[in-house]
Amino acid sequence: MDAMDVDYLNELLEQDVEIREKIKQQVSDLDKKVRVMVGILIKIHSTPTDTLPPLLDSVRPILRSCHDTSAALASLVPPNQFWRWKEMWSNSLRTAVYSAALVEYLSSGSLITLSQASEVLGIKEEWADRFSIAVEDYLHGLISLVNELSRLAVNAVTLGDYEAPLRISVFVKDIFAGFSMLNLKNDTLRRRFDSLKYDLKKIEEVVYDVSLRKLTDSTKSAVRK
Amino acid sequence: MSFQPIFSQFQLELDDHNDRRERLIKASRDVTNLSKKVIFLLHRIVNEDAQDYRAHSKHACERGIEKLREVRDIYAAIKPEVQGDSFWHHHHSISPGLQEYIEALSFAHYLGHGTLITFNQVQAALSDDLGAPYFPLPKEDYLLGLSDLTGELMRFAISGFSRKGGRARAVQVCNFVRDCKSDFDRFAPFVKGLRKKQVVTSQSLEKIEHAVYAIVVRTSEYDLPQEILDDIIGQSMSSNAYKEKRRNRDVGSDDEREYDY
Repeated sequence: MDAMDVDYLNELLEQDVEIREKIKQQVSDLDKKVRVMVGILIKIHSTPTDTLPPLLDSVRPILRSCHDTSAALASLVPPNQFWRWKEMWSNSLRTAVYSAALVEYLSSGSLITLSQASEVLGIKEEWADRFSIAVEDYLHGLISLVNELSRLAVNAVTLGDYEAPLRISVFVKDIFAGFSMLNLKNDTLRRRFDSLKYDLKKIEEVVYDVSLRKLTDSTKSAVRK
Repeated sequence: MSFQPIFSQFQLELDDHNDRRERLIKASRDVTNLSKKVIFLLHRIVNEDAQDYRAHSKHACERGIEKLREVRDIYAAIKPEVQGDSFWHHHHSISPGLQEYIEALSFAHYLGHGTLITFNQVQAALSDDLGAPYFPLPKEDYLLGLSDLTGELMRFAISGFSRKGGRARAVQVCNFVRDCKSDFDRFAPFVKGLRKKQVVTSQSLEKIEHAVYAIVVRTSEYDLPQEILDDIIGQSMSSNAYKEKRRNRDVGSDDEREYDY
């Protein structure tokens, strides 16, 4: 190889190293924010339902602060190279999606869509080839949500909210039905999906317990659903 | 079920992705297969007896390049599947065939020009007649493809050893491979998997060096006729092969192109 080609290649490879370093920096920034949110959200298990809104409000500014990170990442990734670098932030982004989804469910009782999640995290549609939420990452976030809700079903009862497990049960069953529509290949997403049935079972048991003891007025109608 | 519309969109997207992935893996296998055949073809041609070695070697290069057009046809066919950000999405599926293609291409190029094919030349080979690339060539694949070339060159040098002019060529190849090794060592920290391939390159280099050593030692002490020299070198090669084989077993070489000569 002549010296010019060696230098040329070396330069190209150095550029990649530089991009990698910068992305790493942003990802660790995102990681910090995500950890703070997860830390706050753990408290939902010990917070009575009627005092949840202030807790959720304290998460929202942090979600908004992710906008900066998203914009920085979108500017770092070269056009069309989204998939080349995405492994670097997948884990952090999944947890961010999970946080957004949990806040959404606890405040409105609905499922956050992929485009809503993008909006909450400040990810613009025109960045699709550089920085976006991949379907897999969104789905990973939803599975984390289900994992968390199955715990919440138990803890809500402990805190005296007997209705929560019923709502969670309906919601999670719908998500599970959605996942069942997908032809997942044999990867971590598939394995995590396979583990969802245990969460479902746990929630079912809680619903069974509260219904059997007639702890809730809406027991009959909810079970029929 | 209330989330059906959301999930049916994902269903389409994931299915589309998986189907495309399958198609690209198949295309990649075809490319690997064709490229391996070209490499064998090149070895066959250069081992034929020829009057004018240089012309013959150029001829081999042309035949190889011509055959590799079939690979270009495959890449032309998958071009629509790997546009935009789709290329990096499916890079894992495309990469193995691409590296094999680069190996075959660089071998043909070496036979024709005696040099290492450049990054831009490979990118040009991955472009249509108007010069529009089928997809961007990743530097990693270029380097990993080239690092397999040394194994082929070792095979080329040693199997052509007993031919007219073969020993001079072996010395050439030896120097060339040594240069490759030193260039690639510089890139090894950047490219995943290159370090491992460099180990194989070192082994190939050592094999050629042993063979070249045999020429120098024998010819320095005796003024032997050509055909007796061929015999001596043949013997040295077979004992050398035995030693290398044992060592490879210890190292656990994973290169499928490792062969017995």
